[in-house]
Amino acid sequence: MRALWSRVRALVSGRRLDHQLDEEVRAHLDALTDDYVRRGMTTEQARLAARRDFGGVTQMQDAYRERRGIPALETFAQDLRYALRALGRYRGFTAVAVLSLALGIGATTAVFSVMNAVVLRPLAAMDAGRLVVLSAFRNNQRFVLFNPEFEEIRVRQRSLSGMFAVSERPFLRVELPGAPASYVAASLVSGTYFEVLGITPAAGRLLGSGDDDVSGTDAPPCPAVISDGLWNQRFSRRAEALGSRLRLRDRDCVIVGVTPPGFRGHQAGSVPDVWMPLRPLTERRMLEHQTQAFFAGVMGRLNPGVTREQAQAELTAIYRQIQALEPPLPATFEAPPQPEELSLHVSDGAAGLGGLRRQFGQPLTMALAAVVLVLLIAAINVANLLLARGAARLPELATRAALGASRGRLARQLITEGSAIAVAGGVLGIVFAVTATPLIASAMTFQSGTSALDVSLDGRVLLASVAATMIAAIVVGVIPGMRLSGLHSSPSRAIGQRTMHAAGSQRVMRTLLLVQFALSLLLVTAAGLLLRTSIGLSGIELGFDSGRVVQLEVADESPGSNSVNVAESEATREQRAAIYRIADERVNAIPGVESASLSWYGLFSSNDLWTPLIDPLRPADRREARVNFVSTRYFDTVGMRLVRGRTFTHADGYRAPKVAVVNETLARARFGSRDPIGAQLTPDYPSRDDEPLTIVGVIHDARYNNLREAETGPMMWMPLPQAPYRIGSVDLRVSSGAEAEVARQAASVLGSVNPYFMVRRTTSLADQVQRTAARERLLFNVSAVFGTFALALAAIGLYGTLTYKVARRQREIGVRLALGAQRESVVALFIREALALAAVATLVGVPLALAAGSWLRAFLFGVEPQDPVTLIGACVVLAITVLLASCVPAMRASRVDSVIALRSE
Amino acid sequence: MDEVPYGALDLMVLKTLDGMGPLHGYGIARRIEQIAEGSLALNQGTIYPALLRLDQKGWIKSDWGMSENNRRARFYSITRAGKKQLALEADLWSRTVAMMSRLLEDPS
Repeated sequence: MRALWSRVRALVSGRRLDHQLDEEVRAHLDALTDDYVRRGMTTEQARLAARRDFGGVTQMQDAYRERRGIPALETFAQDLRYALRALGRYRGFTAVAVLSLALGIGATTAVFSVMNAVVLRPLAAMDAGRLVVLSAFRNNQRFVLFNPEFEEIRVRQRSLSGMFAVSERPFLRVELPGAPASYVAASLVSGTYFEVLGITPAAGRLLGSGDDDVSGTDAPPCPAVISDGLWNQRFSRRAEALGSRLRLRDRDCVIVGVTPPGFRGHQAGSVPDVWMPLRPLTERRMLEHQTQAFFAGVMGRLNPGVTREQAQAELTAIYRQIQALEPPLPATFEAPPQPEELSLHVSDGAAGLGGLRRQFGQPLTMALAAVVLVLLIAAINVANLLLARGAARLPELATRAALGASRGRLARQLITEGSAIAVAGGVLGIVFAVTATPLIASAMTFQSGTSALDVSLDGRVLLASVAATMIAAIVVGVIPGMRLSGLHSSPSRAIGQRTMHAAGSQRVMRTLLLVQFALSLLLVTAAGLLLRTSIGLSGIELGFDSGRVVQLEVADESPGSNSVNVAESEATREQRAAIYRIADERVNAIPGVESASLSWYGLFSSNDLWTPLIDPLRPADRREARVNFVSTRYFDTVGMRLVRGRTFTHADGYRAPKVAVVNETLARARFGSRDPIGAQLTPDYPSRDDEPLTIVGVIHDARYNNLREAETGPMMWMPLPQAPYRIGSVDLRVSSGAEAEVARQAASVLGSVNPYFMVRRTTSLADQVQRTAARERLLFNVSAVFGTFALALAAIGLYGTLTYKVARRQREIGVRLALGAQRESVVALFIREALALAAVATLVGVPLALAAGSWLRAFLFGVEPQDPVTLIGACVVLAITVLLASCVPAMRASRVDSVIALRSE
Repeated sequence: MDEVPYGALDLMVLKTLDGMGPLHGYGIARRIEQIAEGSLALNQGTIYPALLRLDQKGWIKSDWGMSENNRRARFYSITRAGKKQLALEADLWSRTVAMMSRLLEDPS
């Protein structure tokens, strides 16, 4: 122990101890010399005699040092110092190597940390590993679970210790005393929510099963639990927050508790500010209706000893029994579900509900695969450059070998150099990642408030970047290390012959280049396929004009129920129609607005409502169509073209005869050869408003919510004054450049018409359309950026290797030229070699690219996964890159002066 | 002349320091040579690794001081643990020697 400590101490103060030993030895020798002088020798003789008596000073010092320190560590420190010196000498090379590895490692870390936040990071819940997500499926299609089904399953199942349902209210209007109304993100949860997640309150109490009770008619103020963030922001963590009243939408609530600071809800990408009980806040009739109330998600906790498979078997069985007993669902386009088509999937719920995960999980996995490929390419590239440089360093290495360095020692030296580059790249890479991660996260933000996505570095992310660094270190360090250390078998030859043939090393370099180009071909092909997808998606005829249209997602938060199930008085509706008319006129009057309209929901706003439409002439035909309620100038504003009849006017008011406009697809599907104008359809709303509507116009088909729809679906529009619903969207076509100003003015105009009109989000119709292809764009950006990067790296690698080769073969070229070879043939010599490499890389890369294509299938549009044009294009890009990278070294070779080349040896 | 048997040098150094008090490296080497009376081929340098070894084991300690000819020198002295070790090894050594003599003198 003592010895070890002394060794460690010695490691730190090695130089000082060396100095002391020197002094001691010098004193010893002096004393010895003095003795001999005293015995009558001359000083010179005495000094020699003293040396002889003492023995080898250097050997002794080595033995002493070895005894004193920890040799392996010291050698490492020495290697490291040497490596840093060597790298410092070649600053340009080092910078390129470190930078390319940093990009590879940084990209890997960044993509992984987003993936970590979206897919992997477990909820801040007790024993999250036993949480499960329950999702209903019908014929492998995601389906919803309605409240009566949920309740029935909850009571009957035995696999789970608890189950809860969630309904999201991302925009809930809140009024706190002494502050203007604003929005909070709320989750309506069933009473068992906190119990199943295993959360304990930071203050007060959380919701419990008792809060599910809906029996009392004279409901007390609804209990609300607030987040630590809201507590801090609005109440400065004061205890008085508990018991405070707040008005949430149209309910009086009282704050009963605060969640602990680390709790971020039940889903990556959305952190609720408020939790409220689901059942008391939902209309009782809706809860009991077979197909009215459903949830954003259902989760549960497995009982001890129960596996997910067992739970799934039990829950699916119960789900099918319930379905078999229920009266059939209303007919839709498709046949009603058969019980055996239904299943209740039980999946891992450790990371919570997976809205974002479903959307981006797979693209992120692909992006991760792409960046790992890039990392490999970057590492191989650096390894290759090290090999080339290492070959140039053969004389140096051979000299060291001749002076007694062991093979292992030399290999260790090279590995240390490689690792030093990798570690520097890793550190810089993490810095890159920290800056790049929010950018990737923001590429996915829109759909849900993903600013709440927690992409901070955690242990798992750091582990991933350490792993990435290690991959880089292994590739960069070990390959050249193994290759070169075997080369010094004949030191004298290596020293003498600067042009010694490092044949083995050549083969490795060629193989590495081949791998680089093959992998690049894969990435370039993927980028090409996704580019064609983007072009395909943007080439789709929209059927409307998305340019210069500002879209405001708005909400009419006026008191009173927003549900169609609650009978509103005629007066209420008529009054609402009048207010909407005023709002419509005012927004149309804003300077810079060419045309504006109000509607129930916005085009491409990811809202979508389908309702059965009954043809009075054929009552059995209840096929569904998308429906929307729009103000008079809607079709002008979004730029949809009227084909026949008329659109709406102010005459189509609340008390006027009910009318509708349909798209061509609906007209064709429902009326065939009959004239749709004047025909009637009755929307089957859940409760009322079932008067027949008369069709007055036909609109040209368009895309409404999804670019990738195989064909346009049926759609029907009705006049806004005749709507039982409130507005959700205001669209404004503006003169160019006025977008921001108009959006700002529109918000204040709406607020002045009715303080309960609130703007949730401002966007543009073009952006909304773009957003539906967010995953494709994310993948395209990743593969385009990294495909280019990979190809550039491979080109640098090829350039470096060829340059080295030209230098090495200078003498041979000189001889050829002296013997009368044409300069063109020398150029051809190198170009031919490069093209041969490209050809082999293509042979290897094409199957890889084809495989990547089929992996991408789900994200492609308008292009086949094995599209030959894209593939050939990628090969051409590869060939051109190879040519460009090789022509400079080849030209240099042709300019070799034979006289100088021959004399140089 | 013979090489110093392995382990013997440590014992010699300990014995020397025990008998003579604090000494510098040169002094220890000279003393061992005197005792050996030319029957040992001691490279004087080899005592330094031995001194380090003994120091690491805690049997000797060292301090910087002034030598007879007024130079800075490192003086080594035996510690209590060193004395204990010396007694132990001396005993072991004499028993080994006694055993070896008996064995070698035995005519059979």
